[in-house]
Order: sequence, then structure tokens, then C-alpha cells
Amino acid sequence: MERYSYLCEQSDERGFPTVNTHRVIVNRGSKLRARISYLLPLALVLAPTYSLLFSAFPVALGFQWLVLICGLFLLVLQRNGVEEEAVVVMPTFGVQLETTYFSGKVHRQFVPLKHILAAVINEAVTPTSCYYYLALLVRDDSKLILAFKEVRPPLHMLVPIWRALREAIGNK
Amino acid sequence: MSTSLPLSSSSLSQNASRQQHRVLMVSDFFYPNFGGVENHIYYLSQCLLRRGHKVVVMTHAYGGRCGVRYMTNGLKVYYVPRLPFLMQNTLPTLYGTFPIIRNILIREGITVVHGHQAFSTLCHEALLHARTMGYKVVFTDHSLYGFADLGSIHMNKVLQFTLADVHETICVSHTSKENTVLRSGLPPQKVFVIPNAVDTAMFKPNPSARPSDEVVIVVISRLVYRKGADLLVEVIPEICRLFSNVRFLVGGDGPKRVRLEEMREKHSLQERVEMLGAVPHTQVQSVLVRGHIFLNSSLTEAFCIAILEAASCGLLTVSTRVGGVPEA
Repeated sequence: MERYSYLCEQSDERGFPTVNTHRVIVNRGSKLRARISYLLPLALVLAPTYSLLFSAFPVALGFQWLVLICGLFLLVLQRNGVEEEAVVVMPTFGVQLETTYFSGKVHRQFVPLKHILAAVINEAVTPTSCYYYLALLVRDDSKLILAFKEVRPPLHMLVPIWRALREAIGNK
Repeated sequence: MSTSLPLSSSSLSQNASRQQHRVLMVSDFFYPNFGGVENHIYYLSQCLLRRGHKVVVMTHAYGGRCGVRYMTNGLKVYYVPRLPFLMQNTLPTLYGTFPIIRNILIREGITVVHGHQAFSTLCHEALLHARTMGYKVVFTDHSLYGFADLGSIHMNKVLQFTLADVHETICVSHTSKENTVLRSGLPPQKVFVIPNAVDTAMFKPNPSARPSDEVVIVVISRLVYRKGADLLVEVIPEICRLFSNVRFLVGGDGPKRVRLEEMREKHSLQERVEMLGAVPHTQVQSVLVRGHIFLNSSLTEAFCIAILEAASCGLLTVSTRVGGVPEA
């Protein structure tokens, strides 16, 4: 199980209302390990390709093909690791949901405050597990917008974020 | 309790009664299904909740009903998305349900696991996994089963396996206890008999609803082979022929309903026999009070709650002498 740590930051810019950022960070050891495990399938694909194309190493051909296919398999199955997810609450403005990946990519989604009806914590039951999730009820859309798409923080982390969201929505 | 030390004994009893149990009821059969087992689990849970314990129910998903629902008094029900495959039972994958059962047991802080109905595969798996993890386990058997046919033989083997390790076993009648003890190989001293109960507040008599000039016989049951629908088909025309002031009120639905309709047409008993179709549980009392006699023709019954409900509504009961009916 991955360990999550929760961080709440406040921006103190004068003249603007306080923007609270609630971050849930995935503890994945060192960043170097994450980067290496991300590049491993690529290496597994490139090395045999090079040696097969240019007949560089006269090692067992079958083994090289095997390594190549395994590398391709891992490359296809690989998913971008999530470094952290954040919920940025901007009072009177809206809510921004951010996902930062290990590759450095950041995915952001902004939900204007006018569209949000409520924030709910609900329980989801799958055939193998049961967990809590925080979602936003949006006007004109039957689907809920999940606050944390990839990450599943425990209930005691979700509750302060839910309270902050309720305050922001309640003071429309 | 000695009267010389009233303080300590009362505090002891207070401690004993204040110990809160967190019970997990597991069965394949629960609301929105209606039946003896389902009602038993629901009423038992409500009584436990009233005493201050915490109750959680786990069952399989019914159609689109999946996830966590809350019923009266905060009864939490987990509808686990494992679809039924045979007669409302989930597919028996021996370790397939282990992750979700463990998850529920830990997150709710359960202390006692109570499984219902020997025919429920989810119940067996839950009891097995709960015992593996060291929880206290109770099992209640609600029906009588045979010994000779293929399904029964296999189920009895599974039952022996499950009940070898259970802490307490409950049966709903002495006949049921005999049956369970023979099937599972338990020592009879270990099995408790706690008969089912009926909610007398709901099933009240109402003499003004009955007609005074004719005798009305009420039959409410699922119209299946097991409940003796074929017997009804034979008996109703005979009674109507012998007694001219008798009317029948038949409630319930099932595969044998066609046979009853045919019998009605054949003997032209349209005015004498009234078919009500499926009666929702909330309206059962209003149907029962319209009659004088309740007829139960089931071929096998561990303990017939229908008879109790009818008796509670002030009807005379006539039943086939099978299973636990004499004790009811």
C-alpha cells in the first residue's frame, strides 16, 4: 500500500482572498528510484533492438527477442506514476483539481464555483475493496467529479478537505 | 445475584450490558428480497440496534442496487457487486470473496460474524474467512434440507466443513435442530433453538374486516412446488363442492399460478376463488384480516412464520403437519 502524506498550504498574497491548496503526496521512496523504474522498459526495448539490428552482440538470439518483447509489454502496460494530487480552493472563484505525475506532467481541471452544488464523501464498493472518495456534485451533469482521481487518501485526510470545500461552497 | 451487595452486582450487570458488540450479518438473502430469512435478519438487526449494538449487513448486489445503503436506525448494508448465479447465491469462488470480507471486517471493527441460511454460499465463505482471521462466529440455519440428492450431499459436506469451527449454532425449531445436527455432525448440546418471532404490533386482528355470512379461507404464499401449490389445486374444488358458503382468497405469485388459474376456469370458481397476485409485505396484514381461516399447504417447513402472522391477526390456522409446524 502506498503511503500518503497530507499538506495544506495557504497563499498570503495581499489584496487577494486566501487560496488554500490541499495536497496529497504519494511517498514513493526516492525520486531517483521512480525515474529509473520509469526508464527500465525503454532500456529493455532499445538494447535488444540495437543488438538485433546491428548484430552487435552474438548472444542467444532467442533471449534477445524475449527481452525485446518483455520490454514492449512493460512499455505498453506502464502507467504514468502519480507524484501528488492537489485540490486548490479559491473562494468565490472555484476549485482547481491538479494531478502531478513523475514525468513532470501536470493535469489541471478547473471547476467554477457556480457549477458546484455540493461536495460529498461517499463509500465505493468494488468486488474486492471498499474505500471512501470525495466528489463534487456539478450542475447540469449527472456524473460526479472526483477530487482525487488516481490517489485514494484515507478518510481522515478527506474530511478537512471536504470541510474546506463546504465552507467555500456555502459562502457563495 | 446476592442482595447483600446490590451495588457491585448492578455495576457488573451494567458493564455486561454495556459491552457493545459489532455484528456483521452475512447472507445471500436480504432486502429487497422478501422471505423468512430476509425478515429474520432485518428484525434481528433492528432489535440488536435498539439494545445499543452496532450491526452491519453484507449481501450481494441486487440488479442495480450496489454499494452501501443505510436502512432504519442506521443499519448499514453492503451490497457487494458479486452477481448471483443460481437461486440468488453468489458464485462460490473459495477465496474470491476474501479481500472484500477482510476489508469490511477491518474497517467496521467487527467483533461477531453471524451467518444465515445453509444454502447461502456467501455465508459459508464469510464464516470460513472470519474463522481464519480469528473472529467469533455464529450460524443460524433456517430451512430443512434433504440427504439424498446431489445438491444436498454437496451442501452437507460444505456445512460440515464450515460448522466444524463455529462458536455457536442456532436453529429455528427442534425439528430444524435435528436436521442440522444430522447433516453437520455437530454435538446436539451445542445447538441452540430460538424460534422465530412475529411483530405483533404490525399483525393486529381486525374482526370488522371479515364478512359474517360466509367463511373466508386465506392462502398467502409463493406459488411454488415446495409450498404445496399442487395440493391447493386439488383441495380447493373439493371444499367448494362440499361447503357452499366458503370463499377462498389466494395471494402470492409464482410458477404454479397458471395451474391455479386453470383449476379456477375448469370448475368455474371465479366468484368463489379470488386471486390477488403478488401481495407486498406491507399489505399482508390487510389481506389476512379479511379471512377466518389461514391455510398453509407447504411440503416442508422448518418453522412457518406465515402461520404465526395469521394467528397474530386472529385467524384459525390449518396446515400440513411437516417439519417445524407442530412447534409453531
